[in-house]
Amino acid sequence: MDELLNDFLVETAEHIDAAGLQLVVFERDPSDKSIIASIFRLLHTIKGTCGFLGLNRLEHIAHAAEALIGRLRDGEPATPDMVTLILAAVDRIKFILSELETHAKEPDGDDGDLIVAMQASLAKAPGPASEPPRADFSQPIARSEPTSMALEPSATDGASAPTSAQRRRPESIRVTVGALERIMILVSELVLTRNQLLELTRRQEDDVVKAPLQRLSALTTDLQDAVMRARMQPVSRLFASLPRLVRELSVELKKKLHLVTEGGDTELDRQLIEIIRDPLTHMLRNCADHGIESPEIRLAAGKPEEGTIRVSAAHEAGYITISITDDGRGLDVEQIRAKALAKRIATASELAKLTDDEVCRFIFMPSFTTATTVTSISGRGVGMDVVRDNIESIGGSISFATTAGKGTRFSFKIPLTLAIAPALIVETGQHRFALPQHSVVEALGLDADTKHLVERVQGSLILRLRDEVLPVVDLRELLNLDAAASPNGMLAVVMRVGTLAFGILVDAVSDVQEIVVKPLGASLAHLEVFSGHTILGDGSVVLILDPTGIATSLGLEQASDYSVGRTIEPFRPAEENARLILFRAGRGALKALPLSVITRIESVAPGAIEYSDGIHVLQHKGQLMPLMQIEESDRPQSHGNRPILVLDIGGESMGLIVDEIADIVEGCLDIQIAGASPGVIGSTRIRDMVVEVLDVAYFMRLARPNAFARGFAKRFKVLLVDDKPFFRDMLSPVLTAAGYQVTTAASGMEALSLFERGARFHAVVTDTDMPDMNGYDLARTLTGDLRRAPIPILALAAHAAPAVLQAAAASGMCGAVGKFDRVALLDALGKILDAPELNKHDLESRILGDAA
Amino acid sequence: MSQSSLYPIAASAPAAPLHAMAGHFFTVFASGEMFGIPVDSIQTVFQMEAVTPVPLGPQEILGLVNLRGKIVTAVSLRRRLQLPDSNPGDKTLAVGIEHKGESFALVVDEVGDVIILDAPTQIPLPPHLQPQRARLTTAVYRLEQSILPILDMNAIFDFLRRG
Repeated sequence: MDELLNDFLVETAEHIDAAGLQLVVFERDPSDKSIIASIFRLLHTIKGTCGFLGLNRLEHIAHAAEALIGRLRDGEPATPDMVTLILAAVDRIKFILSELETHAKEPDGDDGDLIVAMQASLAKAPGPASEPPRADFSQPIARSEPTSMALEPSATDGASAPTSAQRRRPESIRVTVGALERIMILVSELVLTRNQLLELTRRQEDDVVKAPLQRLSALTTDLQDAVMRARMQPVSRLFASLPRLVRELSVELKKKLHLVTEGGDTELDRQLIEIIRDPLTHMLRNCADHGIESPEIRLAAGKPEEGTIRVSAAHEAGYITISITDDGRGLDVEQIRAKALAKRIATASELAKLTDDEVCRFIFMPSFTTATTVTSISGRGVGMDVVRDNIESIGGSISFATTAGKGTRFSFKIPLTLAIAPALIVETGQHRFALPQHSVVEALGLDADTKHLVERVQGSLILRLRDEVLPVVDLRELLNLDAAASPNGMLAVVMRVGTLAFGILVDAVSDVQEIVVKPLGASLAHLEVFSGHTILGDGSVVLILDPTGIATSLGLEQASDYSVGRTIEPFRPAEENARLILFRAGRGALKALPLSVITRIESVAPGAIEYSDGIHVLQHKGQLMPLMQIEESDRPQSHGNRPILVLDIGGESMGLIVDEIADIVEGCLDIQIAGASPGVIGSTRIRDMVVEVLDVAYFMRLARPNAFARGFAKRFKVLLVDDKPFFRDMLSPVLTAAGYQVTTAASGMEALSLFERGARFHAVVTDTDMPDMNGYDLARTLTGDLRRAPIPILALAAHAAPAVLQAAAASGMCGAVGKFDRVALLDALGKILDAPELNKHDLESRILGDAA
Repeated sequence: MSQSSLYPIAASAPAAPLHAMAGHFFTVFASGEMFGIPVDSIQTVFQMEAVTPVPLGPQEILGLVNLRGKIVTAVSLRRRLQLPDSNPGDKTLAVGIEHKGESFALVVDEVGDVIILDAPTQIPLPPHLQPQRARLTTAVYRLEQSILPILDMNAIFDFLRRG
């Protein structure tokens, strides 16, 4: 079955079952607004999705039912007839869904009867907004027998209708956690045994054993993957209960609290989700009780009356980080000192020697609470020590950062326990360690010739890699090992954690193995450079290095900003200086390209450049690299090597043949005359010279059309906001395929928080009908914020009806398109973004975009 | 394991027992001294082989050991008691102990037998015991020839946390 259709069925089936229950309540009490709203939203979604999938029958019936229930939502009293009709429509939708599931297409038949009946009821209803009577409104059949008509499915459907309930069962069963856990343990053991077998047979050349063993190995990997997947669940399950908790806390503490959750779609082993539920709840209580001040104090301190608690989850180098940030008063160091003294945890002289940071760590001591009054919220004797123990019990760690008066951030770092990951086995002296492969970028051999790549600058090692300078650390220094440096040279393993790149020096990488990550026990969990331990194929125990922890211990952790709602990474203004490489190619002025788009510069003998199939190519590392000539050179080509600028685009390289590199300068890309010929963005003045700035995209498009489409063309960043995963999943590929770089947000709040954290987009496409904050409110907030540059916002509605267009314009949006009208969506975005004039911002994006 | 070769002397001592600590104890040796461990906390006794050291870890932790597919943390009793290390060539035995969900191996020089101690033979902690020792001792018993300190498993495996 079509994957989209399948997703739709699964999602809708869930909702419609819920609606079935709600309808029972609805029938008893048709005035319950929330139920009406929820059924309305469901029908609305079905309608929109059906339009996309071309399910006409379902779309029409959902449309009619939506119109009817829309009336109720607008406050019209529900008559028994209307309720019956809505129930009948929901039944019919269920029936069609079940048919879809079995036959992957809508059943034949017609819902004209039901639709006519609903339209009639709509027209009959005396609402203030009632539409003018339609032609079919007077049809006697619809008026006289709406109930019986509606409840009978049309003749062709009759036979299969009774069995539909059995057939449309969701394809899932409940499995106890214990059973899943047992499978997981067995798989882990299987992996270890497999690894041992592989290790044993490595030295043998017995083909009789090898073939089935290979197969066993592949199957084990698949099995392991399948089981892992079965256990993963989005963290949003954990977040779901938080809004309610915060609301209750807000009432109980008489504080104004605002909860922001982010990264709900981060997936985590389901068992871990359960384990961190209590610590997270506790942290939220603490934030609300101790962290956030009362409204009066906040106002007096010049803060917004409403305190913000931000809970965010992110996947980072094999860990899940869950941060709980508040913009409250921060930890009170003096109070903690006093308390530690009073509780005789430390003496005055001991305290005097401790730094503030060390003092703050006392909050993790058992029964340590600084709240002067014991409240029912957090002063229950269950303290941070329990939180820490819980997190450590799963091999996680907890850290915090605080600024007096500004707020506090607690972060849980939770390993993917039981995760089986490929790892490099690195050696240093006599020691072996496992290094998770996912954060390793590359390994560089440092023999006698290349040693100069690593230098010691003011006591710290740095690695010069292409045009980057990376901090590196010798593993033996980091771990205080007394091993002597290997005489056979060393390896620099370059890793990336988040936006940080750094390297570690080791003697050798001896192996790559799949490892089962087992968390360290409590006695060793404090060692931040290790994330766990594992048993290798040969039975030996090795410690697993933690790239994030190493970065922290090197002091590379990014500067942290604890305050909530402040821009963390300021947008680089377009005028900022760029490093430009100046070179000669052909006649005319010097040419320039931003250095950031160039991977490296090669010097190539003329003979190495060959001509094949109409293009110049160069054999490079066993692959053919297309070369482009910027302009036909008028110089004789025979003498000497020629420089080639190598660009990397979506994993493929291409080269630009130039005559001579002139200089590398710092300059401001301020185009003064727009380019007239293809491949030239325009002319600018750098150091009193006229320089032609080339359009790198033009050459890439010619040389590597496919890679260009994948990578560089995504030059515009579009934020897609829709509360339905289905639409996000469906529209973001549509936009991506059209060359936009798409970020999605599941709610208006999430979208705003992206902006608050400094994310920048060229356009926002938002659903209009979302719970909590609808698209119009989002647009008003975004356009009303004067700190931001105006940003085009496009509304996604069921139909681009005049009313929608008006509402969209009123809230500052620049247009509205139908949700399932892909062509109109791309058209509208194209008009907004691909504006013909060349402004600086546009230029910056074009040049520095993703290829950089 | 054979039954005791050491017999505690019969009761004629303190009227009020300090703790109800009587029962079966397993004896271990470190640097010539004998210590008792409650028998029910011991899971296995094994010969230490390949130990993976833990850099930056507490110095009492010798490293990690693969004990039949399970990773256990090896803690040196000598180092815990601030005694000098044994000679590198000496064979080392370890006592497998589960503590708060974590698997430990207490590395000792030698293991003795199981002995049964009666409550009346318990004596108060000698006041001049080094503080470091006292912290690791739950009780002390009088034996015929010597004094037997009973190690406190909670204290032995509770390492100073760095917060």
